[in-house]
Amino acid sequence: MTELSIVNVTKRFDETDVLKGVSLDIADGEFVSLVGPSGCGKSTLLRIIAGLEAQTSGDIRIAGQSVVDRRAADRNLSMVFQSYALYPHLSVADNIAVPLKMRRLSRLQRLPLAARLLPSGRAASRKIEYDVHQAAKMLEIEHLLNRKPGQLSGGQRQRVALGRALVREPAAFLLDEPLSNLDAKLRVQTRAEIAQLHRRLRATFVYVTHDQVEAMTMSDRIAVMMGGRILQCATPETIYEDPDHIDVAEFICAHKINILPVEIADDGQLHLLDRRLELSVVGAGRGVGSLGLRPEALRLAGENAPIRGHVVHRENLGAELFVQVEVAALKERVTLRANPEQRRALQLGSPVGLEFDPAKALLFDPHGKRLRQLRPTFAAKPEVA
Amino acid sequence: MPAPDVPSAGKASTPPPTPTNSAPVIRDYRAAWTLTGPALILMVLILLVPVAIAGLLSFTDYSLGSDSFNWIGSANYEKLFTRASYEKMFVATLTYVVTVVPLSVALGLGAAILIHSLGRFGALYKTIYFLPVMATLLAMSIAWEFMLHPTIGMLNRTLELGCGTLLERVWPFLANGCADRFPVWLGDKRYAIWVICFIGVWQGFGFNMVLYLAGLTSVHRELYHAAEMDGARSAWDRFRLVTWPALGPTTVFVVTITCIRAFQVFDTVEAFWPQGGGPNKSTYVMMFAIFEKGVQQNLIGIGSAITMLFLTFVMFLTLIQRWLVERKVHY
Amino acid sequence: MTRDWWKHLILILGMIVVIAPFYLMVSYSFKSPGEIERGEGGFFGRQELMVDERCVSLRAPDRKDIAAASQRFPGQTENAIRTALIAEAKSACSMRPVVFNYTKAFSEAPLLRYLLNGIAVTVSIFLIQAVVALPAAYALAKLKFWGREAVFGLVLFCLLIPVHAIALPLYIILAKLGLTNTYAALVVPWTISVFGIFLMRQFFMTVPDDLIDAARMDGMGEFAIVWRVMLPTAIPALLAFAIFSIVAHWNDYFWPRIVVTGNRDLFTPPLGLREFKGDGDGSYFGPMMATATVIVTPLIVAFLLAQKRFIEGITLSGMK
Repeated sequence: MTELSIVNVTKRFDETDVLKGVSLDIADGEFVSLVGPSGCGKSTLLRIIAGLEAQTSGDIRIAGQSVVDRRAADRNLSMVFQSYALYPHLSVADNIAVPLKMRRLSRLQRLPLAARLLPSGRAASRKIEYDVHQAAKMLEIEHLLNRKPGQLSGGQRQRVALGRALVREPAAFLLDEPLSNLDAKLRVQTRAEIAQLHRRLRATFVYVTHDQVEAMTMSDRIAVMMGGRILQCATPETIYEDPDHIDVAEFICAHKINILPVEIADDGQLHLLDRRLELSVVGAGRGVGSLGLRPEALRLAGENAPIRGHVVHRENLGAELFVQVEVAALKERVTLRANPEQRRALQLGSPVGLEFDPAKALLFDPHGKRLRQLRPTFAAKPEVA
Repeated sequence: MPAPDVPSAGKASTPPPTPTNSAPVIRDYRAAWTLTGPALILMVLILLVPVAIAGLLSFTDYSLGSDSFNWIGSANYEKLFTRASYEKMFVATLTYVVTVVPLSVALGLGAAILIHSLGRFGALYKTIYFLPVMATLLAMSIAWEFMLHPTIGMLNRTLELGCGTLLERVWPFLANGCADRFPVWLGDKRYAIWVICFIGVWQGFGFNMVLYLAGLTSVHRELYHAAEMDGARSAWDRFRLVTWPALGPTTVFVVTITCIRAFQVFDTVEAFWPQGGGPNKSTYVMMFAIFEKGVQQNLIGIGSAITMLFLTFVMFLTLIQRWLVERKVHY
Repeated sequence: MTRDWWKHLILILGMIVVIAPFYLMVSYSFKSPGEIERGEGGFFGRQELMVDERCVSLRAPDRKDIAAASQRFPGQTENAIRTALIAEAKSACSMRPVVFNYTKAFSEAPLLRYLLNGIAVTVSIFLIQAVVALPAAYALAKLKFWGREAVFGLVLFCLLIPVHAIALPLYIILAKLGLTNTYAALVVPWTISVFGIFLMRQFFMTVPDDLIDAARMDGMGEFAIVWRVMLPTAIPALLAFAIFSIVAHWNDYFWPRIVVTGNRDLFTPPLGLREFKGDGDGSYFGPMMATATVIVTPLIVAFLLAQKRFIEGITLSGMK
């Protein structure tokens, strides 16, 4: 019922196009992350959905109805702000109650004391109190209800901000980098909690973050934004394994993806560092391209391996070992994820050969667009003289 | 387990600083008193001693030039609370404070909110409204005296323009003025104190405006967005929910400082009525009374008594402010 | 802009009220007495030549003048010569109102002297305040010594005492010391700025201890630290305080009024203006407003040039 549609939204600030035509459909109950580097327009898009900012053109629809001429207060959306934006003079309970009071009480009933004096106000106030307690219970902050925001830790404030958002039943929750002010440990914990909350409420969540780990771990779908456009919107798995664009591949990664220059021959045959690969591409003309290889797509191989160099740096993370290999003809080092058991072969300075799993190779054209039509070319005879 | 405990246990039982690390403390100690010395001496001589002297003299009939004086107990204070001229002093001072403080605070806040909401020209209004704060009040009092001159003053001339127009029908004051004559603003005991109040507001509200503007820029913008998302539709709701609470500390400060300044009104009164504190003593404010009694008439005892009373008012106000600030800090 | 028209309307009405006395002051300083009397001439007046009656009466020819002038007017009667001389005096004494007003402002009273007094007094007050307050503020902020809390408590207590309020006992002390009607009387009560100490202490609290420790490692003594390390870091705060202090004392009228009586050589600008008002008659409105303009202008111009700094300085007292 409460699906959210963003239709061809653009936004201009002075002379700069912050959003260059963004469209996105979010299903009821879906958790969608808008992720991208800072300045990509993701926060602006969220604020346009909220109604805090006006778009230059385009349409926002909630449950099929255009809301562009409705102000933020009338769109029935909840928002959690990066700075939490708690009212410093109100207690936690009062902070959570604000959205209910503003919506359920008349202006007369909102006057100080009036809520207690007017019988209608008293009933409404009791209901509000009950709802606030329910929300507090869900977030386990009941013991904090009488405190002021200034007396709370960052994590507690974050929960209060969540409480204020979920105390009423909005059409959707908008979250603007809600975890960015928390320390690393708390962030991991709250990440899981927000995901659980989403499953429990079955509500629509739009979540803005610059942290791809947050996006990967919590979302049903991720919309990767760059330069005011959505480059790709898909499930976390698809985004990771099957990116549409080199920027997406580079942005969404646990470890920096290796980008290697390749040449494409007339017949689509790929050459890497003047060596013929057992791979060709269909439907692309002669030219150059970029081969994206995640560290886990690479593995150690013998002398004949297509990539050869020597180890210049290693990082042992315990469960896995990352090795940086300098290759003579490449400007950037190639990173390999290895098994810690292989560390003996990977001493600093030792020469290594690397090969890759063709199924995991990602080929991009010079504009960064993905070329998907890769074919193995087994027939080739070894070139070694 | 015991290992981490050792340092803290050791710390707790450490004897007072050993001679080696107390050496810099002693150097600090001497230097500190040399550094604070001049300030300390001046504070005592210029601020504390005079307060004590005023306190003592307020129980005497001392006057400058006489060799001896008598202790007369609380007679000076009794005079203050019984004589009609001092009653007028209290009435004038309180009227001034009670009028000027709320008006200049409210106007300062109003101007600040309006200016803050404007993108363009805001800086211009701010500059203009701040001019009276910078200007020598005595000079501006004289300018105001000309403005309010009964015959050639700009105010009455402007009012005369309204004669014979529709305004005369709806505004009895104007009709009276046209029929008879317009008020002698500074010579009429009905108007004198209000003129002084008006000039006080005119001079002071720009200061409050600037403080409020500073307060407004420090209000987090996301709070307004949160209020909007929470359903605060009207400007009034947002003001009540975000602006006013956020300006609480500013308001406490603005009110106190305006109060203290209002108590000290002197320049305008002295400029308009060098003798006697206005028509029928209607503008006989405390600072003027101290000046007239203590300095001009050499009645030091009574002047000191007014001084002590004045100090009590001001200290009381400042203490209330400090208490409020400490109580209301919520950041 | 269109949606905000009512805001502009209110603010412009307020602006008219705020600016009116300034307008009047400057405008009167341009106008002739007649124009002021009749309320004519717009802002600048018509600037028609006017005759300074006082100047003419000073030049009124007596017998000696007529005798001396008889060679210039050969063969004329004494009366004719007198008339001619008076006409000469009149033309010599006629000038544009604006010139008249401003020359009168400076010639009728030693306004230049008043201005110099004002500068001397405000500047020396500020310098002494700074010299006294900076070391004390540093010690209170950065040194640990027995009695520090007590000293700071005293500072906080003294913040409660406005100097104007204790003007009477200060006046008595100065009178007993025979110091009234001296420059010292104008300066001494303001040498201690408790507010300055408090303000600079708050500022010094934000200076990292490491900076001071580094200076100590470099072999500086505490005094050297105050002047060579703390002072340079405190320049912005000190500048704001300077503006605060100078504006307050340039405009102060109450205290000079009490301790300076009669001795024109010591008058500060507001006192000079007061004197002008006291002995001026109707025809001196112009010069008086010229004097007022001259006194008000320096700070206003400085304010317009460095608005941000001034507002910062004046509202300093709002800092917590």
